[in-house]
Amino acid sequence: MVSVPAKFNKQDGMLKLVAEGARSVTWTPVSGSSPQVNVRIPEITNLQQTPATAAKASIRITAKDNYTFTFSSGNAREDQQLVTNTLRQWIEAAKASQSAGSPATPAANLDKGGGQSGAMAMARAIAGAAATTRSEEDTYDDAKLLKDVELQRSLLNSSPALRQRFDQALRDKPDTITIAQFATQFWGTRVHLLRSHAAEKAQGLGTYNVLSVVKPQHVDGSIKLNMTKEQIQLIFAQHPLVKRVYNENVPQIKEGEFWSRFFYSRLIKKLRGEKITDTDNLDPKLDKYLDFDDDDGQARQLTMPTVPRIIDIAGNEQNHSQKQGNRPDWTMQPNSYDKVPILRTLNRMSEKMMADVPPSDAHQHAPAGMDEETYKELQLRDLQRSEEDNRVVLKIKDQSQLFAAGQGLHTSSSAAAYAKRTPAEVLSTINHDMGKIMSARSKAGGVNLETVIGVEDDSSSEDEAKPRKVVRIGARSTRSAATSQIIKAIKQRHLHNDDHLAFHAAGSGEQAAKYGLSQELFDSLAMTHNTTVEFLHYFWSVYLSGDPDRAGEVGRLIETLDKSLDRIKAIADSAESERSAKIDLLMKENEAYAKRTGKRRRFDPTKVEGGAQAVNKMVGPLKRAIRSAKDQFEKSLHEAMAQTAALTSRTSEVVSNH
Amino acid sequence: MNAIDGTVRQVKTDDTPPPSLLAIVLDTNPHAWAHLSSTLPLSSAIANLLVFINAHLASGNANEVAVIASHSRRAQWLYPTPKGPISHHPSSNGDANGDIEMNGVSHPNGSTTTTTPAKENANKYRPFSTVENAILSNLSNLLSSTTESDLASTPTTLIGGALSLALTHIAKSTLLHSPVDPLASDNPLSALADSESVARTQRIPLTSRILIISVSGDLANQYIPVMNSIFAAQRKRIPIDILKLAGDTVLLQQASDATGGVYMKPERPEGLLQYLMMAFLPDAVARRSLVMPSAGGVDFRAACFCHRKVVDIGYVCSVCLSIFCEPNLPGNLCLTCGSYLSLRAAQTATPALVARKKKKRKRVAGTDSATPSGTPAATTPMHP
Repeated sequence: MVSVPAKFNKQDGMLKLVAEGARSVTWTPVSGSSPQVNVRIPEITNLQQTPATAAKASIRITAKDNYTFTFSSGNAREDQQLVTNTLRQWIEAAKASQSAGSPATPAANLDKGGGQSGAMAMARAIAGAAATTRSEEDTYDDAKLLKDVELQRSLLNSSPALRQRFDQALRDKPDTITIAQFATQFWGTRVHLLRSHAAEKAQGLGTYNVLSVVKPQHVDGSIKLNMTKEQIQLIFAQHPLVKRVYNENVPQIKEGEFWSRFFYSRLIKKLRGEKITDTDNLDPKLDKYLDFDDDDGQARQLTMPTVPRIIDIAGNEQNHSQKQGNRPDWTMQPNSYDKVPILRTLNRMSEKMMADVPPSDAHQHAPAGMDEETYKELQLRDLQRSEEDNRVVLKIKDQSQLFAAGQGLHTSSSAAAYAKRTPAEVLSTINHDMGKIMSARSKAGGVNLETVIGVEDDSSSEDEAKPRKVVRIGARSTRSAATSQIIKAIKQRHLHNDDHLAFHAAGSGEQAAKYGLSQELFDSLAMTHNTTVEFLHYFWSVYLSGDPDRAGEVGRLIETLDKSLDRIKAIADSAESERSAKIDLLMKENEAYAKRTGKRRRFDPTKVEGGAQAVNKMVGPLKRAIRSAKDQFEKSLHEAMAQTAALTSRTSEVVSNH
Repeated sequence: MNAIDGTVRQVKTDDTPPPSLLAIVLDTNPHAWAHLSSTLPLSSAIANLLVFINAHLASGNANEVAVIASHSRRAQWLYPTPKGPISHHPSSNGDANGDIEMNGVSHPNGSTTTTTPAKENANKYRPFSTVENAILSNLSNLLSSTTESDLASTPTTLIGGALSLALTHIAKSTLLHSPVDPLASDNPLSALADSESVARTQRIPLTSRILIISVSGDLANQYIPVMNSIFAAQRKRIPIDILKLAGDTVLLQQASDATGGVYMKPERPEGLLQYLMMAFLPDAVARRSLVMPSAGGVDFRAACFCHRKVVDIGYVCSVCLSIFCEPNLPGNLCLTCGSYLSLRAAQTATPALVARKKKKRKRVAGTDSATPSGTPAATTPMHP
């Protein structure tokens, strides 16, 4: 029931859309109590409205007469939209019910749905695919997904890793943040997961061959038949013949008896495609349907919406064999049903089932009837005009002209270092240096590389080709320094490289062992890392939201980050105690070994890996991130405070001036 | 085709590793080398490099090398010596100048390097001395042709041009090495030359890599050309190795990371040879079975197109992918391609830390390295 103020014939009044009973549009003047205008929806032949840009918002309803209503309230435009939309739906529904020729259906629909909603449902159904897709999109809307607690819960249940993370984060969250806030933040970064989960949940089981699944069972001599309501419905849908038999017989026979007789009849054997033998039960009631065809649906299947060109014989007169004087083709005629019934039955079942399933191997928006390739092949390209080039020309301007890209000596990052020498000095230094090697070369007929590189392990001889500096080039110390740097880099790379392989294959255990930590510690460290990253996410999203209402939240999140640091420290401590326990154990072993053999093994406690050092090294970046967040926060807070102070002092000055 | 040109191509199954081409880009920025002269003078670096090149050539019969100097104002070939008008030095002897064809190692051609009078050392393996002579004479030519005004105008080096030279040389050598692309199945000749197709499938392509020995910073200036070279190398699966002796690291680290090369910044440049031999000698085939040293944290930051600054948080044009360091573009037009580009929405809101009072504070973009959830792009992930 919609009721809006509207003028009719320059009189004020109320325009009402009556949904109860027979739907109609009525208009009642302010002065009067009974409606002056009453138009029933099915009578409406046309509906017009002023465009959105017009000054006045009015609609014109054409039935037997023309009625023009002008909306008179403050938000006339919205009223107009509301009325026209509702009316349009109603009219569509009315038309649909008329064209369907079954006036009972919309009436039933109305009763069931209770007025407008029933009509809406009807309109939606008629509007078809467009409307459904829109509503589908709506269910995947971010805001809706974030509100859907049930969905979130089911996602958590289906993914243990996520659940763990959620619980952990929930436990560690500051008390000042409500669960609702927390959930929004948590899911805010994971909307895509929710969306895919929603899509996953929307998937349902398709139809299947029911008759082969339902099997009567013998229990204690009696026959038991377990069928669900859905199965019965499916049988009716798949086998229209059964529906007919059921309709014609069930009041006379009891339902249960009907089904048990049916499952032992020759009829079901035929429907299943089994061979009927003489030993099968005779059932006078059901056997008379044996010769009926179960193929009501076949007509529907045969009329394909589009026949692919490739098999469309009718579309190709030239291939009409009878015109060439041939006998009618007899090879591909349908033959009798009885030959291999099971194949036919199965084929027909599959066809029926697949008829309602959208094809998964074809593109949904592909042109009907033929695919893109075929279409392109059939095109007569020679006869077509060449298409206009619709590419957008990207005009790239020359960067170097636009900006002062040139870099002088003094803007350089190494300006300070380079400034020590003038270009002339630079040149002379270089030339002098190069001169040495060149002269050595022309003297000896080539450079004596062995001497030039300076790798002389028994070095004492002065090498004139090279200036001797504090550290000689190629000296042993420098070479071993280089070696250790490279070995270190290789070790680090090794640790990282195996990340990808080992993490999936062997889990975190191996990873932990590399760092000299126990698996539990490693896992709890990973968990802490996860939640801390989670809180960092919250922090930045709240911090950068610029919403003064959430200002308090930022502070609390900083506290949480502090707590995260404590947690990391706790793990580092336990890692340290783990390591000292390990060292003790090794010491004891060594003692035992020394006692047993009388020899002492060298033991270096610093070689034992793990401990707080390993932990701190691993969480280094995380700590840096926390520190950076805190620094940023403190700096901003400081500035904000200073500004507040300045502002208040200024206000007080203003006040005192007055 | 065999019958026509009369050459005999033997189909041999080759178990030896494929030949490898090493293109070395030597940064010869005089500023930087003068600065380094106390720790690692250019002459010693060259000597060490020559040893390294010899090691590379010695590790495979068909191995090749190319050396390019990336100088302050231009990029210059050191080896092989370019022929023709590009050549800066007239060939003094009457030897046929020209037939170098960039394959100097397998068929060393004396004419390439004899411009500076240098006696052939009978005790030196000929290919080694060829390379050595070419590099030294070309380098000294290059340095002697450098003027003070060249140096005064720029503090850095033309790494972009040198990289392009290296890539083109690699492309050319790869073609020369296997003239018929084995992947080109639509080649009309492939159907004809039946017997040859066996040989072709067995031909092992040249594996190439680039080694940049860099001493200059300020490479952000050439962000675009270098980045393009990096992507080209990535496509061609050419690893770019970096040996960074001095200067800031921003761009080249990305080059090695994107192409799967090795990045090294020596702590002790004096041990140059050790670094070269240990980290950079294995070719692409050998690297498959080795763990190569890596520097760990990679600086992924990009340089903005407008001021060539390296930015933490940048703004990207959705049409041409230009990077800008600040969201206030004149007229809301992209500076590079002129498309409409409003960056207002990309700006992060001013954080409000004091509840419900009108506070205006400007947050300077790009002062933190952590990731605000709104702008996942153009930040700085760091490996520990």
